Amino acid sequence: MIDAFLEGLLLVLQWKAFAFMLLGIAVGFWVGLLPGLGGVTTLALLLPFIYAMKPVEGFAFLLGMHSVVATTGDITSVLFGIPGEGTTAATVLDGHAMAKKGEAGRALGAALASSLVGAIVGAAALALAVPVVRPLVLAFGSPELFMIAIVGIAFIASLSAQGGRGLLRGFLAGGFGLLVATVGQDPQAGVARYTFDSLYLWSGLDLVPVLIGIFAIPEIIDLVVRGGSIAGEMPKGRLNRGALEGVKDTFRHFWLTIRCSLIGTFIGIMPGLGGAVAQWLAYGHAAQSVRSPEEREGFGKGDVRGVLGPGAANNSKEGGALIPTVAFGVPGSSSMAILLGGFFLLGLVPGPDMLTQHLAVTFSMVWTIVIANIVTVVVCFLFLNQLARVTLVRGEYLVPVILVLIFIGSYTANNHYGDILLMLFFGAVGYLMVAGGWPRAPFILGLVLGKIVENYLYISVARYETAWLTRPIVLVLMALAIAAALYPLIQARRFRARSEHRA
Amino acid sequence: MHSRASLILGICIMIIAGAAIVIAMDWPLKAKLFPLVIGIPVFCMATAEVAWGLLDPAARSEAMEFRLSGQASGATAVRRTLLAIGWLVGFFAAIVLLGYPVAVPLLVFLYLKLQGREGWILSGVFAGVVWAAFYAIFDRLLHVPFPAGWIAAWLGLA
Repeated sequence: MIDAFLEGLLLVLQWKAFAFMLLGIAVGFWVGLLPGLGGVTTLALLLPFIYAMKPVEGFAFLLGMHSVVATTGDITSVLFGIPGEGTTAATVLDGHAMAKKGEAGRALGAALASSLVGAIVGAAALALAVPVVRPLVLAFGSPELFMIAIVGIAFIASLSAQGGRGLLRGFLAGGFGLLVATVGQDPQAGVARYTFDSLYLWSGLDLVPVLIGIFAIPEIIDLVVRGGSIAGEMPKGRLNRGALEGVKDTFRHFWLTIRCSLIGTFIGIMPGLGGAVAQWLAYGHAAQSVRSPEEREGFGKGDVRGVLGPGAANNSKEGGALIPTVAFGVPGSSSMAILLGGFFLLGLVPGPDMLTQHLAVTFSMVWTIVIANIVTVVVCFLFLNQLARVTLVRGEYLVPVILVLIFIGSYTANNHYGDILLMLFFGAVGYLMVAGGWPRAPFILGLVLGKIVENYLYISVARYETAWLTRPIVLVLMALAIAAALYPLIQARRFRARSEHRA
Repeated sequence: MHSRASLILGICIMIIAGAAIVIAMDWPLKAKLFPLVIGIPVFCMATAEVAWGLLDPAARSEAMEFRLSGQASGATAVRRTLLAIGWLVGFFAAIVLLGYPVAVPLLVFLYLKLQGREGWILSGVFAGVVWAAFYAIFDRLLHVPFPAGWIAAWLGLA
């Protein structure tokens, strides 16, 4: 085992494999930075290039690219408030709020350091969990996966706003997201739902234009309204000081970073949930970990823990997602499904052979994730303060560039004008949500999970009728969902009792 | 602004959820199960939110996230918000009518000239740099297919 572990490292460090990994990192770096251009699409575009490569070189190239996309996607989210990737949307909430307070460097430092910790935890999980993960994956059928999704929505809906009305708005936003996700051809009966005879809507609403619209448009309007730069009139010195402070924050909240990394790994292992879910669950967990109402109010206004949680989970999920892909040939996400295609192109069959005959190749994947993230984080840190200065550029220069990026980013989802209309429509929805004090996170999570929830619900009902509701893990998860929904009310009551006791 | 935006959003969601329920009624069970399971609670919650807003307009609930800055207020804020929406809609119209390769430098140039009140040379150079980056990355490198605008199509140039 240890021999294979070291052999995996040596395989990645061979000059050809290492060069391909650097090339993949360079591609992934830019893909992450550009909004709308997704890691999944790029993975598919790069697949034909691996025909002539050896397995280790091919995986170094593909995984090198894929494992850094979320890391650099955080940079766009923090600096411009536009999710660089669908999986980095949660970083916008507190990361961009920090940038507006003149703490872009600190937010970027925290995002990058937590990404690195997350990547290492995910890779370690991949290395350690392969032999023990089989019973875990097999214990989770459609009913349990349906309930995990419900727990996720309950978690975010209850934690993203305050008070009874906040709870109502959180669940309403989550439910609205689920409802919007039903647009498109129904997977069971083939009925075109809410498509209004438009061919564009048949395949459902693409996540990228919706994400860009709901997060970027309110920010742009606000930037135009208030004038000046993203960071306002903050002194320049604060930006330069911030990056190292962000790294220190990662270690100040080390256990939170580790817990969020483990959440990301777990979600990565579970088929069908994916990185877009992992980041929100991690964000919810970070928000839940507060100790006082004052701390709670700071979330969304630039609390560094809101950056650390999603940053760590985004990267740890890659190692987690590789576990079922490598061990059972069951891809947990669309990117892993494409990577599975890579296995076959390279002449490898996922399954027991990857844990015996090709164990060194499996470990080379672990090392690729770790090394690719270290290289990216080091490169990013070299330019971090320069990147952070973007927040001091006058809005008159930034707004047209951001407009160009979001209009192209949305359009590239399907190369259709409908993508831009969708982005503008959800921009209006996002603006109203922000203006009205509604949380956007539950809406996005509902939209992301909509199709998955419907499929798992349908399979559960078709396979078990109502008996699925009495499965032990389902009952535990149901209790967890109810606890998650009631937790903020209980917490508020506890805070109130404590302050009364002190008085 | 806060309660009005919330009320508009609540009413819109109520109408959308209500329409979604009515439309779904005609579908087979397999297709309507999920929209109804979700749509009915969403309609009820939206109704409750609207009622809450009407009965107790002073009750506020802050989301734990980004808020619009209050640096500009009143008529100035409204005027600038409409201006920002104007740029968004105008850029979309320019893309449809002229195509991306023309609309991108045009937007950057006009924004700097009109909104930023910059000089002709600076606006032109900046627009040129943004266009060059756009052309190199999205056209030459990624081969994103940008259609010609409607005007070029009408003139038979596309």
